[in-house]
Formats: sequence, C-alpha cells, structure tokens
Amino acid sequence: MSEDMLLQATGLCKYYHSGDSDIAALDHVDFQLKKGAFTVLSGRSGSGKTTLLNMIGLLDNPDAGSLHIAGEDVLALATSARANFRLQRIGFVFQAYNLIRVLSARENVAYVLQLRGMPKKERLNIADRWLSEVGLDGLENRRPDQLSGGQQQRVAVARALACEPALVLADEPTANLDSQHGESLMHLMRDLNERCKMTFLIASHDPVAMAAALQCVYMQDGQIVSRDTV
Amino acid sequence: MFSIYFRLGLRNLLLYPMRTGLTVLGLGIGIAALTFLSAMNDGWLQNMKLNFVLTQMGHVQVHSKGFEQSRRITDYMADTTQVDQALQSMPHVKAWTHRIRVSGLASAAGANASVLVSGIEPEKEKKVSRLYSFVQAGEWLQVGDKRGVLLGDVLADRLSVGLGDKVVLMAASPEGDIASEVFRVRGLIHSGVMDVDNLLALVPISMAQDWLHLGDGVTDVVIRADTFTAVDTIVKHLEGVLNMHDFEVLRWQEIDPMAEQWTMFAEVYTWIVLLVVIVVVLAEVLNTMLMSMYDRVREFGLMTALGTRQGQLFAMVVCETLVLVAMGGILGFLLGAGFSLYFGHYGLDLSQYATAFSFMYMSPIVYPELTFNGCARILIAAMLGAILASFYPAWKASRLNPATAMREV
Repeated sequence: MSEDMLLQATGLCKYYHSGDSDIAALDHVDFQLKKGAFTVLSGRSGSGKTTLLNMIGLLDNPDAGSLHIAGEDVLALATSARANFRLQRIGFVFQAYNLIRVLSARENVAYVLQLRGMPKKERLNIADRWLSEVGLDGLENRRPDQLSGGQQQRVAVARALACEPALVLADEPTANLDSQHGESLMHLMRDLNERCKMTFLIASHDPVAMAAALQCVYMQDGQIVSRDTV
Repeated sequence: MFSIYFRLGLRNLLLYPMRTGLTVLGLGIGIAALTFLSAMNDGWLQNMKLNFVLTQMGHVQVHSKGFEQSRRITDYMADTTQVDQALQSMPHVKAWTHRIRVSGLASAAGANASVLVSGIEPEKEKKVSRLYSFVQAGEWLQVGDKRGVLLGDVLADRLSVGLGDKVVLMAASPEGDIASEVFRVRGLIHSGVMDVDNLLALVPISMAQDWLHLGDGVTDVVIRADTFTAVDTIVKHLEGVLNMHDFEVLRWQEIDPMAEQWTMFAEVYTWIVLLVVIVVVLAEVLNTMLMSMYDRVREFGLMTALGTRQGQLFAMVVCETLVLVAMGGILGFLLGAGFSLYFGHYGLDLSQYATAFSFMYMSPIVYPELTFNGCARILIAAMLGAILASFYPAWKASRLNPATAMREV
C-alpha cells in the first residue's frame, strides 16, 4: 500500500441468506481510497453502497476479502480493538437517528471525545469549536428533538470531525433533508475536506452529493461498475 | 466515564416518565413493605431476646458441671466464691445473683400443682431480672422474710390461694429425702410468659438453702451483661478463669433450645425477606429494562458504531438499572422507615394474640426496630437484584451488531 493510500479493500464479499439461496450484497469488490479524497459511492438502492460502507466502517464483517486502513489489517482486529479503531480513526454520519436523543448537541459531540478519555473542559471547548464550525453557534444546549433535520446532520458532522479522524464515512447524509439543506450540508463537508484535509467517503444517490464529489464510484448488484474522477 | 453512564441512565429514565414512575412506585411499595417487615422482625427478635433474658434467664448462667442437662439438685454448687470473685471486676457485667432452682409440688387447701421453685436473693434479683416488676398483687419479697412466697397468678388460681394464704412446697433434697416447708403468699406475679405465670414460686434463697439442706450452696449464678454483644466476652472470660471440670458457663440461647431456635428462625426469616427483595426488584426492573433496551436498539447500535466498547455499553445499562432501583429504593426506604419509626414509637398492638405471644416471651405490643444492619441488608439485596435484573438487557445491548441494530425501526 503506497504512502498516500488510506484504504485498500480487495475481493470483499458479503452474502445474505434468503430462503435457500444466497444474495451477494458485495461481490468481490476491490476498492481504494487516497488520503484527502472526497468520494461518493453512488448507485440504486440495494446496489451495495451501505454494505460496503459498513464493511469499511468495521460495523459488519465481510464473508471474504481483505481490508487495510492506514496500513492496518482491520479485519484481523478483535471486537474491542475494532471499537477502538472506529473511535480513533473513523467518523460517522448516518442517514437518520444520528444523535443520542437525551444528550444536547454539545454533549453529543463531546461524547466521542469522552470515550477517548479527554478531560471535560477540553472536550467541551472542542465540541463548541466544531459546532461553531458547522454553523450551530448558540444551539449547543439544544437536544436533537429541538433541532431541525439539517441541524441534526450538522451536529453529526461536527461529532464525526471532532476526533479528527483519518476517514469520515457518511451514509445517505442528505436523504432526510430538503434540497436546500442537503446542498448546504454537502458544501460544508466539501469545505471541511479542503480545509482540514480529511478523507470523506459518502454513500449517496443524491445528485447534490454527486455534484460535490471529487470522485464518483458507481455500484450495481454488489459490484463497482465505474469510477469517475470529477 | 461513569458520570456519562449515570447521566444517560437518568435522562433515559426521565424520557418515559409514566413507565419509570410506575416501576419506581412498584419498587417503592415493595421495598417499603419489606423494610417494615424487616424492622418488625428485628423488633420482635430484640423484644423476645430481651424478655427472655430479663424475665428470669439472664445473659449468662454459671452452674455446676452438668446441671443444665440433669436439673438435679444434687448437682448444686457448694461454693461460688471463685465465680463471685471472677465477676467482681469483670467488664460488661451489670449485675449477678444466686438462685436455687428445683422442681417440686405445691399444696394448698386440698389443691396440688407442680411448681418450679426458685430461691432468690430479693435485692440482687431486682438488678438482674424483671421479676419484681411483674408483681401485680401484694409485694416483692422483703429481706428477712423467710416464709414469704411469690406465686405466678395462674398457679395461684390453680391452687385457689390468694395473698396471705398458706402454701406448702415440697421438693427433693440432695440426699433424696422429700422435704416440705410452709410459706405464706406475699404477692402474685403476672409476666405474660406461661412458664412464669403457671409454674413459678419465688422464695428467699436462705430459706431454700435451709429447707433443702444445701448449706451455702446454690444451683445458678445468673449474670446480666450490659449488652448482648458482651455475652461472648463474659463467657470467654469466665471459661478462662474457672475450672471447667467443675463448672459450666452457658449463654442465654444455650439455656433454652426454644430461644436458640427462635434466633435461628429470625435469621432464616431475614434471608427470606432478602430473597423476596431480590425477586421483587428482579420482577419489577427486568421488564422495564428489557422494554427500554428494545426501544433503543438503534441508539445502542449508534453508540457501538461511534466506538463505545461492549463493556462500556454493558456498564451503561447496569448504571441505568441502578439509578432506577435507587429511585424506587429511596421512595421505599422513606415509606418503610416512616412506618417503622411511627410504629416503633407507638407500637403495633397485637394483644388479641397475646396467648400465642406468651409462648415465645414476646410482648403483645410489637415495636418495629429500624436498625442500620437491617437497612443495609435490604439496600444490598435491592442493588444485587438490580444488578441481576440488568445483566440480561445489558448483555443483549452489548452484543448488538451495529450494522443490524441501526437498521432496526
């Protein structure tokens, strides 16, 4: 794996059982991602985008293949080591139910920092800084049910970036947002990618997301069918 | 990290006020009832022990070796100087007295009844037992009144005698002769304890020694300790000082098997109460926590995805359960302690069962006793129940596959 390569997946397979047959959600996928990339995984529903994202995010296990992130064979890691790897190296933005509902925006962002063992004052400062960065000044103490969908996604982005991860994974981040908020969120992530040099991998079939991408990877029936650099 | 567990636990519980409130109420009522039951048990036991010891038994008794088993007057102590000297400066000894204890027969005006004759030192006896406080008619034995006798009121009824009447007491002397002596009834005693009211005849010890040809001998040295916890110390001290080939030193519970059995039963009862506490907490909490866990599968999935370790999720659910049980426990303790303190002050009148109580040296008015140990036992049992109840939901939550969990609706 070369110096500038962050992620290398080879021959990833994932099958789901349905009755007597196996359905290939991922079918021998080879995939690479460079540091600082802003890549969108695109394709129809059921094409395998989320499954690939779950494998890369160590949220699920492939049935075959290998996966190296930042030079580490992550599939060889034990459960607790995987949790730690996610905590240290990966930031997540999910489609919905993204935040812990009983914690405020500030506490949601600070949660991952607390998991890392950061002192209270420091983690609250960082949380406030990132909330400001995503344009949520003054909303730090609001709970998720007091925020709009777009604001909740911004909190999720702030949380994903607060740990300064090597890789940010976002699964359909604009799916529950109107086009205006979707566009705004994608611009925010693209801006952070440029300024903070963080690597983004986004699964989305939203044209707004694809428009913001530096690279688009198309998936169909569990396979990567094309790669376009914008 | 624990601060976030408790904060999350408390806020999640408050998210469903009705469900949490009902669980807390159920827990509170259960723990209140069990706290009160435990206090009743402690009150009963304490009352029984005190009555047993202070009615006539004392905390510790010294006899001639084998007397308690044989109950034969031949096994009397001819000389108690060694015992008296040992007790003179012994810490925790509040008072002691000598007695002569012998079974016999009482006759009066054509009626006969078996009696337990107790020769006592009237003034010293006052400091050791409550017998003098049970005099309900007449008066306590006076020093120098050699022919005075106090009878249990039921015994007096059976003999059809009253104050001033004559009673003949007969008992075997150590030589095997049947000796009899005439006494005059000076008082009647009523203790509420069957053994005392139905059987006891108290006479001056000096008269009993003359009548039964015992010289200065006695059968019992009865010791009152300043606390129950001092009993073992006194016994060990005496066993170290006395020649144990000649004497036996018995604790109060060794003198009467019933008292020992009741003490053991009280212990068993305590364990039963604690077991019920655990079951109540388990039943109340397990359902609530499982519901809460299934409601939050996505949230647990999210937490796992963010890097929360299995052990941390497990601890989080356990903490939430502990917070829930703590809320119910506080409510329960306040209610239970309130009832216990109220009835501990005013008493719970169970006089209609007085006869049954008299078998067990128990006063018909029960005063629940709220002890630190009793409260601590229930608290520990409740927390143990909470931890047990949290294990399954905590285990389930910590084993969730994040990808699957986050797909749950």
